[in-house]
Amino acid sequence: MKAVKIGMPVAMILISLTFLISSFSIPRANLGNPNGPLYFPIGLSVFMLVLSVIYLFNELKTLNEENKNIKALFEGRVLKLIGVTIVLGVIYALIFETLGFLISTVIFLGGLLFYVNGVKKWMVNLIVTFAFSFIAWYGFSELLGVSLP
Amino acid sequence: MEAFVEGFHTVLQPANIFWIVIGGFLGTIVGMLPGLGPATAVAVLIPVTFGMNPTSALILMGAIYYGAMYGGSRSSILLNTPGDGSAIAATFDGYPMAQQGRAGEALAISTVASFIGGILAAIGFIFLAEPLASFALKFGPAEYFLLMLLTLSAIVSLSIGKMVKGFIAMCLGLLISTIGIDAQTGVHRFTMDIPHLSEGIEFLIVIIGVYAVGEVFYNFLTIDKDSMKEKKKVSRIWFTKEDWKRSKWPIIRNAPLGFIVGVLPGAGGSIASMMSYSTEKQLSKKPEEFGNGAVEGLAAPESSNNAASVGAMIPLLTMGIPGSGTTAVMLGALIMLGIRPGPMLFENDPGMVWTFINSMFIGNIALIIINILLVGLLIKILDTPAKVLYPIIIILAFIGTYTLSYSTVDYFMLLLFGVIGLFMKIMDFPIAPLVLAIIVGGDMEQNFRMALTASNGSFGIFFDSAISITLIIVTVLSLFYPLLIKLLRKKQKDEEKGISA
Repeated sequence: MKAVKIGMPVAMILISLTFLISSFSIPRANLGNPNGPLYFPIGLSVFMLVLSVIYLFNELKTLNEENKNIKALFEGRVLKLIGVTIVLGVIYALIFETLGFLISTVIFLGGLLFYVNGVKKWMVNLIVTFAFSFIAWYGFSELLGVSLP
Repeated sequence: MEAFVEGFHTVLQPANIFWIVIGGFLGTIVGMLPGLGPATAVAVLIPVTFGMNPTSALILMGAIYYGAMYGGSRSSILLNTPGDGSAIAATFDGYPMAQQGRAGEALAISTVASFIGGILAAIGFIFLAEPLASFALKFGPAEYFLLMLLTLSAIVSLSIGKMVKGFIAMCLGLLISTIGIDAQTGVHRFTMDIPHLSEGIEFLIVIIGVYAVGEVFYNFLTIDKDSMKEKKKVSRIWFTKEDWKRSKWPIIRNAPLGFIVGVLPGAGGSIASMMSYSTEKQLSKKPEEFGNGAVEGLAAPESSNNAASVGAMIPLLTMGIPGSGTTAVMLGALIMLGIRPGPMLFENDPGMVWTFINSMFIGNIALIIINILLVGLLIKILDTPAKVLYPIIIILAFIGTYTLSYSTVDYFMLLLFGVIGLFMKIMDFPIAPLVLAIIVGGDMEQNFRMALTASNGSFGIFFDSAISITLIIVTVLSLFYPLLIKLLRKKQKDEEKGISA
């Protein structure tokens, strides 16, 4: 719980620092004001850094207060649900172009449905997977003219 | 007038009517899903608009938007779970009505209220849009920069109690918008030598990531708890004469209120509906009934939030500045389609604008039919377990992302922003400032630098015109708004204490 509470402002501090430091390595422009492209990112990352530090102190003040969202994140299979979705998404990205839209979508949606909705409802899962994949493929590639692999 | 009639004819083309009905229906369904609102509805349905002609696409997106506004109150009334901020007020009296066995009346009155609010606001749109567009022609880069600054700071300060987080989200969005090749000088910024990043991060991917994937992740937090929620039976879908007598004036007087709030930058449906609710409560002779199923407590905010959703499209179309998360998503999609909303749109493409305005009338008529006649079907869809619908939203998000760039590399980006969106929601960050900043960020920086170039680097240009000075004053005032609210609340509490003591 506390790790997430502190992690968020720390992540924001790191992001703003990364932007700030890499702002200085932006090449100087040959056109117009050579430093023109720098002002906006530098100004913003400094502003964000200051705010993130304030945010960190705000979180430290209320560190022991309960955040029901964070609690829910670690309850039951919530983390697993998110993790499985991400893993399936990565697999989808890897197989999408080689296996084609229909097969990879059936695998992704089917896998997700079986995990989220449960194996017991296999019938619903299968019907939804196949019906949706086909309708989406037909709708996009035939009706809307989107070219899908 | 001629353009109006011409637009009316275009809307009545079968293809356009078809898209209005489809958009309204799909919007209603996504809006109905607990936890998902109009921004998500538009975001996941963006790919449907590709390959369409821009006018139809705009009509479709508009229909999805106000369809989702209609749909949002379905889940508020029946399940007590609002789809998004603007549907929260519908739970105050809508759910108690359903608990008292008056779900049918609640659904009907909220539909009619939404309809009247939408129609009245569309009439307002006709009168306000053109003058505002010609006014916006007077804006130079400095004024545009200040207007964007005002919109961003207003949207942050209106998310009361989250100001620090809101500004962090805004900065993050603006910084993300700087990634890629700088439009003015051709310099690469933050691209880390990755070719894919040189064109910048596609803002629609961020939008779909936070609003679709992130929202579904967030809903996973409660997915195994919600399924047991008891839903109210719906018998008859119509309201009584008494209901109408009590609601008609609240509906009519809150439409203009919602409309104006919607036009203002940063505000929107959530604020409009809350304002309407508290106004009606104060005006009511029986304020004690509010919260216990007072029909006007449902009708007023429903009229007002729909009017706000129409009003919000005015700054979007006339100035190219979105005032809310949903209109920001629409702007993103429009830019993808090659439409550049702004004052010139009214000059260059009046046909499109007037067709769109007319489509709002037809769309609201379609939606009242969908929501009254098909209520049985809609409630059945609400019965469809979230566990089936969320995976479908996820896959739609992926397909949508692919159609943007035909590259699976963006799938990783989508997941990344889904996770970022999740943690922002968990830590109670407002999402709208991030999304708005990513979309207007590029223009904002270019206008800022163009203004400075024109003035040879002098900041005086930002104080040069009456418009600029007004914008600056309003921006500064908007920053003090949360403080003002705090002081007012404190004063109220002190007075209450004084009375009880």
